[in-house]
Amino acid sequence: MNLFGPIGDKADESQAAQPAMSAAIDTDRALVERVAKGDRAAVRLLFMRHHARVYRFVARQTGSEMMADDIANEVFLELWKQAPNFEGRSEVSTWLLGIARFKALSMLRRKKEDWIDDEAAAAVPDSADTPEVATMKEDKGAALRRCVDALPEEHRVVIDLAYYHGQSVTEIGEVLGIPVATVKTRMFYARKKLGEALKAAGYDRGWP
Amino acid sequence: MSAAEKMSRRDEMEALLPFYLNGTLEGAELEAVEEWLSNDPAAMAALGEAEAEFSGATAANEAIRPPADALSRFTRALDAEARPARTPAASSWLRQAFDRFMAIPAPVAWAAAAALLALVIVQSQLQPGGKGKDFEVAGQEDDLAKMPFALVKFKADAKMADIVAFLDGNGLKIAGGPTASGVFRIAIPAGTTADYKKLLGLIAAQSFADTVLEGRKPVDGG
Repeated sequence: MNLFGPIGDKADESQAAQPAMSAAIDTDRALVERVAKGDRAAVRLLFMRHHARVYRFVARQTGSEMMADDIANEVFLELWKQAPNFEGRSEVSTWLLGIARFKALSMLRRKKEDWIDDEAAAAVPDSADTPEVATMKEDKGAALRRCVDALPEEHRVVIDLAYYHGQSVTEIGEVLGIPVATVKTRMFYARKKLGEALKAAGYDRGWP
Repeated sequence: MSAAEKMSRRDEMEALLPFYLNGTLEGAELEAVEEWLSNDPAAMAALGEAEAEFSGATAANEAIRPPADALSRFTRALDAEARPARTPAASSWLRQAFDRFMAIPAPVAWAAAAALLALVIVQSQLQPGGKGKDFEVAGQEDDLAKMPFALVKFKADAKMADIVAFLDGNGLKIAGGPTASGVFRIAIPAGTTADYKKLLGLIAAQSFADTVLEGRKPVDGG
């Protein structure tokens, strides 16, 4: 028995509510089937349902909301084109995040040498404060958020996928194209780094 | 249990806590985390810290606001797209090639499509009958010698799915090509010049057709 119910966006998807969660997943799949038959309304419904998460996922990866806007649109156009090939081996949300990840990495590779990221530059904290000092000025919640943001991308993405996107170990492996053991290892180091950053900011949580 | 083993076990449990919290943990790992939470006094504090991370990660993500007009802009882009390509009848090799085609940028994809269609022709010459399920290929020498044909160049941004569907729907066959300049020879199953011209007009009317030139016509004197 699960002693503590899930929290956050998954709060209403506890084990007791499992049938409701399955129904929602089936609806996603049913919509993809409709998309495969050329139903434009169905792809718009999927867009409304998943766009914000895909957009945020890409924005977090690329550091650019402009790129996130372009890529998120491309992801749903890809859904439109590829729906007949969707075999339902993964959840629709996992499939979309996988497409988004691939497109984001491709665009980052293309832009690597010549793209000047004004948005990312603007997001860098004031140089007078190191991340640790800046963190000390905030409460723990804000400090945690800043520490999550400051994680290396390979660690932050597993944190985001687990906590925000509600993905399982296996699903994260599918999205990132890495083995499940690597997902666990990255999660371990991500949380370890978070703990160390928080400790440096004066919030010792006792681990690591 | 030694201190080192205990630490290792805690590390393992700490790595699983996010998945416990998001409700995706199951089986032996779920049991292990629940057993740890029940028996180790440090576990409850660890769970509280993970919950705080959960909130922090959620807040960091939700601070990003997608543009309000995203749906309307997507709808416009969607309206410009053709219907999704249906490929259930595709042979596995063609389907794999098609999947790869769809995953790459259009200019590169078109070059790949040319290579793919060339491959169709080669395969049709290797396989008796030379008939694909998505569209028919005139792969036999007799066909090539007898059938009327047209020379067709497709637009650079043409979608292979559209072309395949069109060829299949009208009984048209790829008879040869592409040349270095991207021209295909399309076999035209027409018995009269009138039918031939009608089919050429149909090809020329397609959005993916760039240039359509008359080749060999039926010998009906028309």
